Amino acid sequence: MRKPWLLIVLICLAASPALADHKYGKQVRFAGIHPIPKSEGGGICYIEGPHVHIYAANKLEYRVHDDDHVFVGDPVAYGYDGPKYAYKGPHPIQVDAYIGGDPDVEYCYIQGPHYHYFEPADGPDFKLVGGAYFYVGTPPPPMIEARPQYIGINAYYQPMVYTRPVVEVDAPVGWIGARAEFVGPGVVVGAPGAVVVDHRGGAVVAPGVAIGAGVQVAIPVPTVSVGIGVNVGGPVVVHDRPVIIHEAPHGKFKGHGKFKRH
Amino acid sequence: MKRLILFAVVVAACSKGKSGPSSRDGVIQAWKKGGLEPSAFTTAQTDVGKDCASGTVNKLDVLVCTFPSAKEAKAAEDAGLKWIGDTTGASRAQGEELIVVADRHKADPSGRTINQVVTLPAK
Repeated sequence: MRKPWLLIVLICLAASPALADHKYGKQVRFAGIHPIPKSEGGGICYIEGPHVHIYAANKLEYRVHDDDHVFVGDPVAYGYDGPKYAYKGPHPIQVDAYIGGDPDVEYCYIQGPHYHYFEPADGPDFKLVGGAYFYVGTPPPPMIEARPQYIGINAYYQPMVYTRPVVEVDAPVGWIGARAEFVGPGVVVGAPGAVVVDHRGGAVVAPGVAIGAGVQVAIPVPTVSVGIGVNVGGPVVVHDRPVIIHEAPHGKFKGHGKFKRH
Repeated sequence: MKRLILFAVVVAACSKGKSGPSSRDGVIQAWKKGGLEPSAFTTAQTDVGKDCASGTVNKLDVLVCTFPSAKEAKAAEDAGLKWIGDTTGASRAQGEELIVVADRHKADPSGRTINQVVTLPAK
């Protein structure tokens, strides 16, 4: 054949419909609960499984799982009112456990206290302390490598006004938030013995926090409680009531990290 | 012999129209039981499947197609997306039934009803 490039172009053209056969027209595939853009009315989309919309998903709060965009941010920031679970710090998310599909681990990089609508997989990598989940496992290389790409989610959430979980407990030993590779720049500085509020997530970190220029080394100390707080983008935490979170969960984990819905 | 063949044909015809959670009627009953308001469903000619019926559920356009097997219903989910078109919707196989829902009139901005339409028949 005189023009092999022509053959390549023809093959690509022939193959393109097959590559795009999981959606049609302007459709964008989603799976699970996610926020609706303000331009589309705002609020939360409560469709649990795979579905389509005709608006885009941003790259900061979504990951792609089996062609679907899966929301890994905090849905409460957008008015989600279903069952929720408090976390503190970055952590892996076993996406297939609550969405289904192929095995897939994605990562949440929110540094402060936040919510998800799913619980973590069973196992020793998460510790539930004072009602909040802390990741105490060893962060896998992909989690560390992708951090620069997604760390911006903290600045994205910082100005949002909504009820965050207030975590005033002692972080368990091995918590990812104390690891050097997960300490972000520009965090609040506090003298030992003082109460420090993480401006990113409204976390109240009690005595024992030592800070360097642009680098935070958190040494977990006293334990208090977990409650609901309202963070207005700054170091203001308004305590509501002392207990939170599990509101009639509609599913539970069974076996090895699999989420089972009722 | 003719009577035997006739009997077999009648039995086959009856078994095709069975009711229950895996049938179209079962799907509609599940919606009603869950508090939804389905309209009458009428036969629909679509590319999604050979045995389909369409109607509305709480102002949402809904297509229900019956397939010989759950595997075939699952395989037709993508064809269901094409039926949805450029709007919010979901295409979900529940056993041998494929349920496709399209919110063409923006009747369900939160998606709660869409979620019920595709999940209630599985419960």
